[in-house]
Amino acid sequence: MKAERSIVVIGGGIAGITSALELANSGFTVYLVEKEARIGGQAASFCCKATEVCTKCSACLLPQKLSEVASYPQISILTNSMVVGVKGELGNFQVEVCQKPQYISPQKCIACGMCTEVCPTMPKAIQSPPPEAVPYSYSINESQCLRLKGKKCNLCREICPTNAIVFGQKPERQELNNIGAIIVAIGFDVFNAREIGYLGYGRYPNVLTGFDLERIFRNQGSLKLSSNGKEPKKVAFIQCVGSRDENHGYCSQVCCKYAMRLARLIKHQKPDAEVTIFYIDLQTAGKGFAEFYKECQGNIRFIRGVPVEISEAPSDEVEVKFENITEGKVDRENFDFVTLSVGIAPRKDSWELAKVLGINLGDDGFFDIKEPFNSTETNVEGIFLAGACQSPKDIPDSIAHGISAAERAMEVLKRCQ
Amino acid sequence: MPVRMGIFLCDCGGSLKNIDFPKVRENLENLEDIAFVDITHNLCLEEGEKAITSRILTENINRVVIAACSPEFRERNFGELLEKLRLNPGLLSLANIREQCSWAHEGDVTRKALELIMMAVGKARLLQPVERKEVAVNNEVLVVGGGFCGMKSSLELSQLGIRTTLVEREPTLGGKLKKLEGFYSSQIEAMIKAIEKAENIEILTSAEVTGVEGKIGDFKVRMRGTKEILRSFGAIVFATGYKTEVAAGDFPLKPGVNIISQERLVQLLQAPTLEARPETIGFIFDLSDENPRFPTLATLNNALAVKQRWGSEVYVFCKNVKVDSEGVEKLYREAREDGVMFLKFDKNPKISADDGRVKIDAEDTLLGEEIVLTCDLVVAEEKLLPAEGTEGLSSLLKIRTDSQGFYQEENVHLYPVSSERKGIFFVGNCRGDLDLGRVLADISSVVAKVYELLPPGKVIVEAERVKADPQKCVACLTCIRVCPHRAVQLVQVDSEKVVAEISQLACDKCGICAAICPAKAIKFEGYSDDQILAQIEAIGVS
Repeated sequence: MKAERSIVVIGGGIAGITSALELANSGFTVYLVEKEARIGGQAASFCCKATEVCTKCSACLLPQKLSEVASYPQISILTNSMVVGVKGELGNFQVEVCQKPQYISPQKCIACGMCTEVCPTMPKAIQSPPPEAVPYSYSINESQCLRLKGKKCNLCREICPTNAIVFGQKPERQELNNIGAIIVAIGFDVFNAREIGYLGYGRYPNVLTGFDLERIFRNQGSLKLSSNGKEPKKVAFIQCVGSRDENHGYCSQVCCKYAMRLARLIKHQKPDAEVTIFYIDLQTAGKGFAEFYKECQGNIRFIRGVPVEISEAPSDEVEVKFENITEGKVDRENFDFVTLSVGIAPRKDSWELAKVLGINLGDDGFFDIKEPFNSTETNVEGIFLAGACQSPKDIPDSIAHGISAAERAMEVLKRCQ
Repeated sequence: MPVRMGIFLCDCGGSLKNIDFPKVRENLENLEDIAFVDITHNLCLEEGEKAITSRILTENINRVVIAACSPEFRERNFGELLEKLRLNPGLLSLANIREQCSWAHEGDVTRKALELIMMAVGKARLLQPVERKEVAVNNEVLVVGGGFCGMKSSLELSQLGIRTTLVEREPTLGGKLKKLEGFYSSQIEAMIKAIEKAENIEILTSAEVTGVEGKIGDFKVRMRGTKEILRSFGAIVFATGYKTEVAAGDFPLKPGVNIISQERLVQLLQAPTLEARPETIGFIFDLSDENPRFPTLATLNNALAVKQRWGSEVYVFCKNVKVDSEGVEKLYREAREDGVMFLKFDKNPKISADDGRVKIDAEDTLLGEEIVLTCDLVVAEEKLLPAEGTEGLSSLLKIRTDSQGFYQEENVHLYPVSSERKGIFFVGNCRGDLDLGRVLADISSVVAKVYELLPPGKVIVEAERVKADPQKCVACLTCIRVCPHRAVQLVQVDSEKVVAEISQLACDKCGICAAICPAKAIKFEGYSDDQILAQIEAIGVS
């Protein structure tokens, strides 16, 4: 049997991108199928956590890979697309992909920005891409666009110098034929902290998640004010939210590290802020992290045990109820804001893809592997896993796993040639 | 050949309105050596490619300047297009008039755009072609270390059709795996059999690496076994593993005191009969925060095995249970459900001998109480350390080690298995504290990297990008000292003169040598002193 040298990678996050690059480097043709309008995944919303020195959070690794992937002719990026059907077997799959209407063709858009200038709505229905976006093209917000709401507006189409804007599109189905192997790299969901009622997320404005904080730092560069307009002086982090509990029999592996890095960043920007981290077991493995933890111990308070309740306190503060072990009693303390260190959860739509591909889900809801010595192969020959959809992983581990999946795919295809 | 330059200006579909393109063109046309100045609309699209192609085919130019968006987006594609048109990509010079000019300012920026383009023109005049040539390489791989990592790497490499030599200093393969409880021993046996059967794996046991010279594609490796061997390999994978040691400072390891290592415990667990069943066993680990993954896994596995097989009372003392590896949280839960007690301390416990038994004096931070426990047997934490000989190999390879003596990766986050020297890789616990999942990822990564760097047959390299001029070189050795990639070596040109030569295969194009060379003998094409000065002079600054 002749195995085909084309591979479909499902998911354009850091793991999928890494797999795609690795395969393209070894001469394979890659279709990178991404559900969103842009590739980059979750890592694209993380912030740089450098203080006076780099704290090695790895958030900067993505842009580098993004620009590489964009300039590779062997990699076709299919955005707004989902895999809806798979036929065939290892060496020769047929993969059916459904693409949502894009309105602006990423192949034609040159990101000149003239469409936004003429767009009459407020806020503008056509938005510019963030600087590191791939594909680097404009996009139309369906709920804002006059034309898509049935009105007669054609301004953007008239001015577009490359005729990149097309209305009246319908979802398109296409079949990718002669696919040798499939790599699944759909990533994870950030745990929804609303599921744990007593932590008050979504009810109290000054209860945030680690993910919210990442975005605040990324978009604003610094922590400005809490919702009451006050400079935050007392800040708490609560670990293991959505990890290591009755519903999650695993450690998310990223939260201790991001919490400590964010805590250091807050201390760096506001040296007089008091930062407390409530934890069960601190995870400090990894090269150089033990030293970083020692530095943290100098000016961050660590309290063993996670709080039992969070409630609202006067002047928009948050009251945290926790067990004071040294004195053997329950303590209450007020904070300006509390960050819930939310973990990595399996994607809610995993099972749909599992059904399409015929691959198994494990106990925790992540995709299952075939055998213990092989962390990328699934029960279906020719379908591989990469990144956090297999089990929780940080950015460097996702990169390493992405490379692994690509290597396994190459090897299996080589064997069946 | 006289310089004949073609300039393409891209107005990005007419969107760069604050640049007066006809005026820019007029000014550029007055410069010397200019064959034409074209204003185009979308160089990044097919129409742009056509515009460039037709001009280059008819105008017989030998330098190209493109003023458009950031080189980040299109530099590579423009280079590939020139190559297709039989024009060396080294003769291309770019000016970024979009992100760094038009978009960065309000109001008219024609003058700045013109200056940026003039700088690119000034540089383009001095550009030299960068020739590419194919070099034959040896794509056989040497794997050093016959433990789990070394064996699995060899197997996977051989499955990709790469010939591998596996060298192990012990008389048999298998490494430390046999000493671990709960490890898949039957699968290890199967792995050893598969390696012995594989046609393209050669096994050298009782042999050690004693010398490494050369560069990727051709490492000359000296090995000492029953006899001296000198062989050439394209790449070397080090899988030299780790050793474990009980820290004597933390435990009173005296004869007659019942404190044993994990390794000894596994021997007892695997022995067919047990002399005296210990009633109470204490495990202590996580005394320091360094390298916790490996000791955590060993402790959890062994504590569970003791509980299940001997039914003893099992107490585990630790600071934090390091569960941030796949499956460890489950193992921790299983141990607790089976009755293993976990006690967490902040200050390290006191351990003392107590009439043949061992007394552990610890605080329990969860209960906030002092706990004194007398055990029949205490199993001490084993620290994970670099394997014997790591230091010797690292100085032999001229590759640094980290603060704990493990091999230092090129980039822990981006290229964890690569070293600073191209073609030399580290895999598994010889580069630090890893769990099984991460070890497996390492192994696949190394295989992928070897396959990518040394595809069977030939490898294409960009030759002559960084070059040392033998006339100017005074063999001061500065470049050899600073090159992190060990790409520079001395070569004899005649009976009297030795000069530095840069291997294009090993060179990573970082430019450190070119910047530091006191004799200005090393030139980095595209970034040479005269090219940078020409850019500055092009806008009348000097």
